[in-house]
Amino acid sequence: MTTMIQVENVAKTFTLHNQGGARLPVFDNVNFHVEAGEALVLAGASGAGKSSLLRILYGNYKPTSGAIRITHAGRPVDIVAAVPRTVLDIRRRTLGFVSQFLRVIPRISTLDIVRDPLLARGATPETATERAKAMLARLNLPERLWNLAPATFSGGEQQRVNIARSFVDPSAIMLIDEPTASLDAANRDVVVELIAEARTAGAAIVGIFHDEAVRERVATRYLDITAFRKA
Amino acid sequence: MTLHVAAAELDLEPAPLLSVDGVSRFYGERIGCADVSFDLWPGEVLGIVGESGSGKSTLLRCLAGIDKPDEGEVLFRGGAEPLDIYSVSEQERRRLMRTAWGIVHQNPRDGLRMDVTAGGNVGERLMDRGDRHYGQIRERALDWLQRVEIAGARIDDRPRQFSGGMQQRLQIARVLVSEPRLVFMDEPTGGLDVSVQARLLDLLRVLVRDLGLAAIIVTHDLAVARLLTDRLMVMKDGRVVEQGLTDQVLDDPHHAYTQLLTSAVLSV
Amino acid sequence: MTVHQMPADDTKPAYNYAYLDEQTKRMIRRALLKAVAVPGYQVPFGSREMPLARGWGTGGIQITAAIIGPADTLKVIDQGADDTTNAVSIRRFFERTADARTCEATDEATIIQTRHRIPEAPLKSGQVMVYQVPTPEPLRRLEPREAETRKMHAWAEYGLMQVKLYEDIARYGEITKTYDYPVMVNDRYVMAPSPIPKFDNPKMHMSPALQLFGAGREKRIYALPPYTSVKSLDFEDHPFRIQSWTQPCGLCGAGDSYLDEVVIDDQGGRMFVCSDSHYCETRRAEGHRGTMLGDAAASGLVEETTP
Repeated sequence: MTTMIQVENVAKTFTLHNQGGARLPVFDNVNFHVEAGEALVLAGASGAGKSSLLRILYGNYKPTSGAIRITHAGRPVDIVAAVPRTVLDIRRRTLGFVSQFLRVIPRISTLDIVRDPLLARGATPETATERAKAMLARLNLPERLWNLAPATFSGGEQQRVNIARSFVDPSAIMLIDEPTASLDAANRDVVVELIAEARTAGAAIVGIFHDEAVRERVATRYLDITAFRKA
Repeated sequence: MTLHVAAAELDLEPAPLLSVDGVSRFYGERIGCADVSFDLWPGEVLGIVGESGSGKSTLLRCLAGIDKPDEGEVLFRGGAEPLDIYSVSEQERRRLMRTAWGIVHQNPRDGLRMDVTAGGNVGERLMDRGDRHYGQIRERALDWLQRVEIAGARIDDRPRQFSGGMQQRLQIARVLVSEPRLVFMDEPTGGLDVSVQARLLDLLRVLVRDLGLAAIIVTHDLAVARLLTDRLMVMKDGRVVEQGLTDQVLDDPHHAYTQLLTSAVLSV
Repeated sequence: MTVHQMPADDTKPAYNYAYLDEQTKRMIRRALLKAVAVPGYQVPFGSREMPLARGWGTGGIQITAAIIGPADTLKVIDQGADDTTNAVSIRRFFERTADARTCEATDEATIIQTRHRIPEAPLKSGQVMVYQVPTPEPLRRLEPREAETRKMHAWAEYGLMQVKLYEDIARYGEITKTYDYPVMVNDRYVMAPSPIPKFDNPKMHMSPALQLFGAGREKRIYALPPYTSVKSLDFEDHPFRIQSWTQPCGLCGAGDSYLDEVVIDDQGGRMFVCSDSHYCETRRAEGHRGTMLGDAAASGLVEETTP
């Protein structure tokens, strides 16, 4: 087994300077690791900081202390201490984030959005188009929408575009935040399959799933983060 | 399903394109910008944000070779030898600004020749560097007009006949035609309607990625910063108060001023 | 200091030789030396008030005044002709103030002052062309700031000049500038050759004569030493071309000279004649006859000479 994420003594406290310097401690002494081929599901009550932890793993939130070693290009890189361009390189090549929301970029067609990660990693336009179309079809997104920008799509359609983009070329590490929130049962099943396939292919997966049935089907291991809450 | 696994090496460039060390500019007693240092790497897009008077435009002018800073140095590694842009001759600096650098001004009038046709505006940098074949200059100008989504039929129209958004796109074509390695942009979407802004931003985003440009973008619009930049520097009273990865600075701001800035907008 | 004093003659006012005082002439000569040393570079000089308005050739007159001596023979042409008012006045000015010998024959002259033309007859070593220049700065219409145009010259940043030519081709299909057509001097400075037709541009290239340019109102002097390379700006695929005419000179039949269109009656009749009046006369004296010479002589426009 290869350790893909190694979290060491991570603590996070938000300081709200404009509200009298209020300090909101979130975690303390977080330690865990994720292996390749594992699907670690974060557990804990709403507001326990599951999303915050996922964002910390992604380099989006900066921990107050500690280290997070991401296995990138064959060696551990501390994403907390890394310079921005290294973080971006890790994200481009190793670390994917699947959020609940698609950040819509004006005027870009659905197909181009889904092709984009493949092109960024050097695929030929033909291969990228082919794989993007296959993924959109699998997620049951009507073909008439493929050449439209998703700004006007429904919540569920946008979410499927987002998932297609994330799974068209799955990263070695996938961070997944509520991917099935507004999907119907059939599409939920596709997402569960996609996650399972990525995991079988060797991806390390860390996710948050509210839907208990989905959670059960995806998880290989649970991590209750309530234990890391600061007193 | 196959998994994307990063190749073994960290394929990052060996040296920064621009190294800024301790740059300060004073206006008498008042601080324009103070003690700014950073490295910019090839292909990296840096945003400088802050409100009016925070010193971001002053800093940009110092970096772009327009105003000499009172202290500090700006080192550009565009050629074989690193170049301290304020110790080389003005001639060399001007040459640099016409070839390896580009500046996109907030007001297109400052960056365009309003009496010269669109084709002439785009072709000028080619003629600057010695191109003397009319047909080839025109062909490249046409190509660039199309890349910035200006119809080829407008090549012989003057910028006065263009809308604000078109003028700004023309200015971008005029700058990028010489394939610069580093582009400075001062509020590139300022003064444009929101819908026009969106189109321009998208265009810039694609061009920056496709050309592998390094860019420094000054803006007070955090949405622009989020869409276009990799890294942010937040300025207040002439000093950098916070810097880092763009989404980190915007989503998890640490400095009081950055928290104020990010909370002052509805959604970015 | 040797001062050439005018003879104390009651009929003539006590002007210094060639009108200008000796200090001013020295100042102009210094500017000329610098101009010759840096071909095409515009040297500032302290342009003086002259007894005619600026814009009427004061720059050329000051240069002529600074270089003329008792041994010189002066030819003055205006629009190519020796007999126009301005040419006659300037010749008379130097006859009175410098006791100059004057002439109309190009090959007899040691100094030829001109505004619009270079004579058709080839210039010789030892001759000096003096051009009266209204607008010495070729970049001025493109870049209004003097500080900026100086930098552009200093560092040979001439892309903008090329943009002007590009604009012509884009708009009219060809470079439309027909006079004062910009040239590259000695592969270094872009220069305005004064309002001569572009037809005359090739005559400047490698000319054995010394060519001096004076702009009185703009206070600039520049020069082409003998045998200097002078190239007209162009594009590879739109090469520089001089004007050409479909017919020869109506009076002397010359097919190689610059022609003026002259309206000859009120029925719309017209003919093309050499703009260089001395060249045309010389050819007619040699027996060349144009198709309209008879008519023109009959109506008293020219004298028909027999060789």
